Amino acid sequence: MKKVTVQDQGLVEKTKCHAAAIGVAMKESVYPLTATVQYPRQRKKMPDNFRGYILFDPDKCINCWECAFICPANAIRMKEAPNKKYYPTIDYGKCIFCHFCIDSCTDSALRTTKIHDVAYKDMDEMVTLTEEMIEPPEIVREDTKLVEYLIDDKDLQIKKTREVDSLFMDEVPPSVEIPVVSQCIDGASCIGCHVCEYVCGSGAISSSIANGVMNMAIDTDNCTGCGLCVKECTMQILKLVRK
Amino acid sequence: MHDADIKACEEVIKMATVAESKWEIKVPDKPLKDKLYFENLKSVVIDTEICSRCLTCAAVCPGGITVVGDKVDFPDYETKCLDCGACVRVCPRFVYEPLSGMGSSTAFIAGRSNRFAGQDGAMVTELIVSAMEMGIIDRGLFAGRNENWETEMFHVRDPEQLAITTLSGTKYTFADVLPELKKAVKFTQNGVGVVGTPCIVSGVRKLQQEYPIFREKVKLVVGLFCTENFHYSAISQYLRDKGVDFSKLVKTDITMGKFIATMTDSEVKFKVKALEEILPSGCNVCCDFTAVEADASVGSVGSVPGFSTISVREAIAVKILDYIKEKGYAEFGEGDPGQLGFLVGHKKKRAENLKK
Repeated sequence: MKKVTVQDQGLVEKTKCHAAAIGVAMKESVYPLTATVQYPRQRKKMPDNFRGYILFDPDKCINCWECAFICPANAIRMKEAPNKKYYPTIDYGKCIFCHFCIDSCTDSALRTTKIHDVAYKDMDEMVTLTEEMIEPPEIVREDTKLVEYLIDDKDLQIKKTREVDSLFMDEVPPSVEIPVVSQCIDGASCIGCHVCEYVCGSGAISSSIANGVMNMAIDTDNCTGCGLCVKECTMQILKLVRK
Repeated sequence: MHDADIKACEEVIKMATVAESKWEIKVPDKPLKDKLYFENLKSVVIDTEICSRCLTCAAVCPGGITVVGDKVDFPDYETKCLDCGACVRVCPRFVYEPLSGMGSSTAFIAGRSNRFAGQDGAMVTELIVSAMEMGIIDRGLFAGRNENWETEMFHVRDPEQLAITTLSGTKYTFADVLPELKKAVKFTQNGVGVVGTPCIVSGVRKLQQEYPIFREKVKLVVGLFCTENFHYSAISQYLRDKGVDFSKLVKTDITMGKFIATMTDSEVKFKVKALEEILPSGCNVCCDFTAVEADASVGSVGSVPGFSTISVREAIAVKILDYIKEKGYAEFGEGDPGQLGFLVGHKKKRAENLKK
């Protein structure tokens, strides 16, 4: 058996170490190095595109139902509005905050916020109707400090500043997309039901009847490439092509 | 994406320019000028009781033509009809010129499948499955049934699926083949094979005549010899009154002018003529016994028991039969078209009913 003995460092070295320890303790008492955020008096700075409470803009919605179709938790139900259009409602009891709905939204009618702290009294209240999604919920802000985690190679630094962060994102720059337009690939198989014309939100599809022949046309300049007509075409003869 | 990629994308986009998309649609004639097209169809075909219930209209209707009771109908057509005219364009009986006789048959062959067992359907199954093996089609539409003997459509994409016992056997009940055919056309890669009674074959041909998408995708149309078919509600009630228990029913058959319902423990037999009281009005004006427009027609009349008669018309059917012969999937013999004469003549007489 070997006995481990502490090497005697000498008085000078010992004093230095003690002084350093007292120094750290003094520093901690003044600027404590804790990772804990004192919510609600402090609030953590959320990254841009944080997946939080979802807001909705009915003016931008083109009624494509893409959000409801893609929702993996079946949290989105489409409800008929007085203007005969169908708008989404979100059941936050089911929502898993994947934000596929926002990613799939063709005209950015749905957008995210940094709100992650909403309380409900019961499960029924968690079904958020369209009109409740237009304006953000009422929030009582108690926070005075903004906590930011700065992670470098070595260590985690915590930066606390006396400011109140906005919970709403600045205008998110639109992602770069390859512009596409709808085109008819088999005009002879068209039954002339006009469904494409009815669903088109931008009025790019037009029709006219002359001498017993119906002329259909898609104006490629006005077509936004949302794909709604392609989805609704009963004969599946419309296709999105590169502009 | 990196900036370089975005630039590359933009270059491609600039190069590919799309011309304005324009196309023309033929607007069909309206006998009743200020009415919707469905009201025209209703007054010309449905209300005059010449509708064959082939459901070609339901296959193309973007609104909602469907079957209500035993009749083709469109609930709330006043508000839901889009007035596109597709239904009158495809209806085989909107401008009805009854077809009859044998059609352009080039050969009559008697055949018995070695692979599949069953009634006339075995040879039909053989044709469709062989076409699938040859790669002509990638799915076939078959009419199956549920435990109450109501017809249900099945998409068969693999011969192994034919192990479903309810697919074999004759049902003598209308099936919703054509609405299902439209779905099949959407999903298919190579082509679709479809089996149907003469009215359904006429519907398929009408669809192919009007819309290229069906010409392209429907590769094989097999017709069935048909004297008449029955509405499910009518025939099920009739059979129940005769003492048929559907839970025990094994097969139904018409031989030598008699309808035979075989159950696990007993049999019910009666003359086919007795069924005339429930004969659908659409069948009453149909003169087509052999499905003259089909690529090939199959039925039991005209060959010895156990064999089915195949009336070959188109080159594609000849090709498939050659393949079956080569592989030895079926035995073949001589067909006797003379025996068909009586039933062909019997149906031809129904043209008189049309005048009434």
